[in-house]
Amino acid sequence: MFLINCPFCGERDQSEFSSGGEAHIVRPKQPTELSDDEWAEYLFMRKNIKGIQFERWNHAHGCRKWFNVVRDTSNDKILSVYKMGEKPPVNYK
Amino acid sequence: MLDILHPKISNINKNNIDINLSEEKIKINIRGKNKEFFTKVGKILSIILPSETNTSSSNENYDVLWLSPDEWMIYFDENKNTNIFDQLYKDISTLNVGSITDISSQLICINIKGENIFELLSSGSPFNFEKFKNNVGSSTQTLVNHIDVILHHKSKNNVNLFVRRSFSEHLYEWLVDSSNFI
Repeated sequence: MFLINCPFCGERDQSEFSSGGEAHIVRPKQPTELSDDEWAEYLFMRKNIKGIQFERWNHAHGCRKWFNVVRDTSNDKILSVYKMGEKPPVNYK
Repeated sequence: MLDILHPKISNINKNNIDINLSEEKIKINIRGKNKEFFTKVGKILSIILPSETNTSSSNENYDVLWLSPDEWMIYFDENKNTNIFDQLYKDISTLNVGSITDISSQLICINIKGENIFELLSSGSPFNFEKFKNNVGSSTQTLVNHIDVILHHKSKNNVNLFVRRSFSEHLYEWLVDSSNFI
């Protein structure tokens, strides 16, 4: 269990949120031009790293807004929180 | 089996906690972002929508709760102005300025009063009530006993709890049971 600082509601318990998986995955502009492997790569393949990961979270039991989180998966430490559409913080890349 | 309008809730007083079903209230969910939306709502309700997180605005007729940056809930007693929904719907929804939804039948309002109410709520909620209990007018959406609720700190140690009708009887039973252990 850990606390997440919702950019709209403030610090709340993790149980109020639901994870939306890896962030910043861009949908291909021309899906019809992709091979099956490339499409499967976009659709299913996700990083599952031990370390700093960029994720989407939804405050499902609060304001119901989506936002991005930079989380260290090795210790569940939230390093940064930023709104949808904002650029990810460069110091964690 | 739930009644059409009210769940089976009777008034309870245990350990300085009063739990009772609030009289039937009209609840309206409003959503919008632009300047025209804020102007129209302000004019119709004579109230400024709260823009600060987890707060509310009130006047003699209405209470407006902040739900998210572009969403609020208005609630008021059923015997007050009943055509306010029609007015809002006509001026906002039909002109695509925002969205107005009557959610009166969706939510039940349980009123909880007393010195120990925050101990009771804390026992089944991940929310930190420290700031909430010191600020009359605070509102929040959180979980109580794993059930989604909207809480409004109406006056000192007096909280209106809004819960989906289908969960209301179960939550009421949990509140009554848990109040024995405070």
